[in-house]
Amino acid sequence: MVPADGNDGDRPRAAVLLEAVGLAKTYGPVRAVRGVDFRLPVDAYVTLLGPSGCGKTSILRMIGGFEAPSGGTLTLDGADLSGVGPADRPVNTVFQSYALFPHMTVADNVAFGLSVKGRDRAEIATRTARALALVRMSEMADRRPNQLSGGQQQRVALARAIVNEPRLLLLDEPLSALDRRMRKDMQIELKDLQRRLGLTFVHVTHDQEEAFALSDHVIVMNAGSIEQQGTPEEIYRRPATTFVADFIGGANLFPGRITATADGTATVATAFGEVAAAAVAGLSVGDSAALCLRPEVLVPRPGGRIPGTVRHVVFQGADWLVELEAAGRIVAIRLDAERGPEPGAALDLDFEPAAAWITAGTVDTEAAHGGNG
Amino acid sequence: MAATADRGFRLAAPVATVLIVGCVLPLAVLFVYSFFRVDFVAIVHDPSFKNYVRVANSPTYRGLIGQAILSGGIVAAVTAVIGYPVAWAIAKRVVFAKSACLTLLLIPLYTGDLVRIFAWRVVLGAEGVVNSFLMWTGLVREPIRALLFSPFATHVVLTYDYLPFMVMGLWLAFESLDDRLLEAARDLGARETAIFLRIVLPLTSPGLVAGALMVFVLVVGDHLTPQLVGGSSGITVISAINDLFGTAFDWPLGSAIASSLLLILGLMVTVAALAVARSTWGRAVLGGE
Repeated sequence: MVPADGNDGDRPRAAVLLEAVGLAKTYGPVRAVRGVDFRLPVDAYVTLLGPSGCGKTSILRMIGGFEAPSGGTLTLDGADLSGVGPADRPVNTVFQSYALFPHMTVADNVAFGLSVKGRDRAEIATRTARALALVRMSEMADRRPNQLSGGQQQRVALARAIVNEPRLLLLDEPLSALDRRMRKDMQIELKDLQRRLGLTFVHVTHDQEEAFALSDHVIVMNAGSIEQQGTPEEIYRRPATTFVADFIGGANLFPGRITATADGTATVATAFGEVAAAAVAGLSVGDSAALCLRPEVLVPRPGGRIPGTVRHVVFQGADWLVELEAAGRIVAIRLDAERGPEPGAALDLDFEPAAAWITAGTVDTEAAHGGNG
Repeated sequence: MAATADRGFRLAAPVATVLIVGCVLPLAVLFVYSFFRVDFVAIVHDPSFKNYVRVANSPTYRGLIGQAILSGGIVAAVTAVIGYPVAWAIAKRVVFAKSACLTLLLIPLYTGDLVRIFAWRVVLGAEGVVNSFLMWTGLVREPIRALLFSPFATHVVLTYDYLPFMVMGLWLAFESLDDRLLEAARDLGARETAIFLRIVLPLTSPGLVAGALMVFVLVVGDHLTPQLVGGSSGITVISAINDLFGTAFDWPLGSAIASSLLLILGLMVTVAALAVARSTWGRAVLGGE
């Protein structure tokens, strides 16, 4: 059914490492993954991003071989993965809990994969030492996991996985147990490691900042489906759905209906009037849509299109975060000024139409403020 | 801090007193008696090592002590093999009826050893369940007499009796075994055998050692089972001690045998505990540094 990848002519295209077609997972009545399609390229940092319970971990577990898909297929290097157990996949995982073997030293943990595959001692010793050096844990080789800090355990878990030279490295929320500072450091290290090894990393996270900091390719998930996939820039600037716009970077969304469409643009009727702007593909007149204005896009301008009232003002160091009630919604903007506005003050907002974006879907009314005080 | 420690001592005092009076003191008396001797019907307070020399030189007593230790070892090993899958299943596969399973496991212990032993006589006897079935199928013409009143029968009943202790020890170890470690091992390419030998066995070994020690000590101390189902093989070191204290009225010799047995068991337990505590996995698993 699927044409062989090799016969694709000489069209330049990133080599596909892993392909999922109609991948689904149900647990009893719960549809955790609802038939998703995606392709992972060779040598890339990919994140599966979404809120908890969106199905991202289920996808990771199916790639790792810990769960059998309820539907669809997974192919790695062109070979079907169904029926192949985790031990036989050229895929290794860094677990959220690290899952280091507590009764073994750091070196023995790292050597485990090579040892159970029956490699000879000299090779095991060399490769273990190299993997430990790669994560800067050589001095800790004789320690046991419970003598290490969270960040160090994380590094050992990484070394234990990459020493096997997998085709694909899966990371299940690997930074969630670390403090903020450590997380930043590890992000840089992970990205650096991926570049040096030339492996494909698949990283599951619910943290948008983390996904952006690391990824070449982001797959945004919600409720078992893929909402959008693309580069971080595409996802930030051109969110396909209101969910993506809200989840990534907290866009201000003004719901409305499409009144006109043209090539690549559309007009949406919002609470403060009609706006024409670049729009996501596939919208037609009458569809529910939302005007998406990032906090940095909205600027105060007397007589601007969106009249608002200041609610909260938060000093953030470099600028002020101002929360307003405008067009029946709570709107956040960033204000670069000496003094922030007083709560209760009237503030009219405006924006460059070129910076606006129209995205598909409805807006959760829970997100809107009651407005009656 | 000092006040807290002091209060701790005072709180522990009643328990310590009971332990000393009820456990250590009688043993100490026994130990002291082992150095005396008997003159007709009187115990002469004339300390010597003669009783220990007698025990060491007597093939009978040496044999009985050896047999007790061998039986303890065999039953501990057999219960471990049977207990492993049972404990694993209760800890990892049973979700809703876990406490019911554990209660079921312990129910035979509520019935008392005599009841259990007589139940086994019904099962293993010449006209018992097993022999009747074998004759009915035509596999044997005559009942197999060796099923009952033999070392085989003794060990079957001992295994049955003390299996719950092994399962309990192993169950606790399995409960604290993190399944994610098994997943990680599988991810790294380990087959089921390697996972068992390199992850499950080392991490559940404290339970195994605890269960084995309990079973071992209980089997060594059991004299009723061999006596009632062991037939001519039913003499044990405990029954020998019993005879020496009772009919033979040689308390010093009985005390010497009992003390020797206690010493040997103590040594074995100490060696086992040290072996566990000194190994890397032992320290890791038990959490010490």
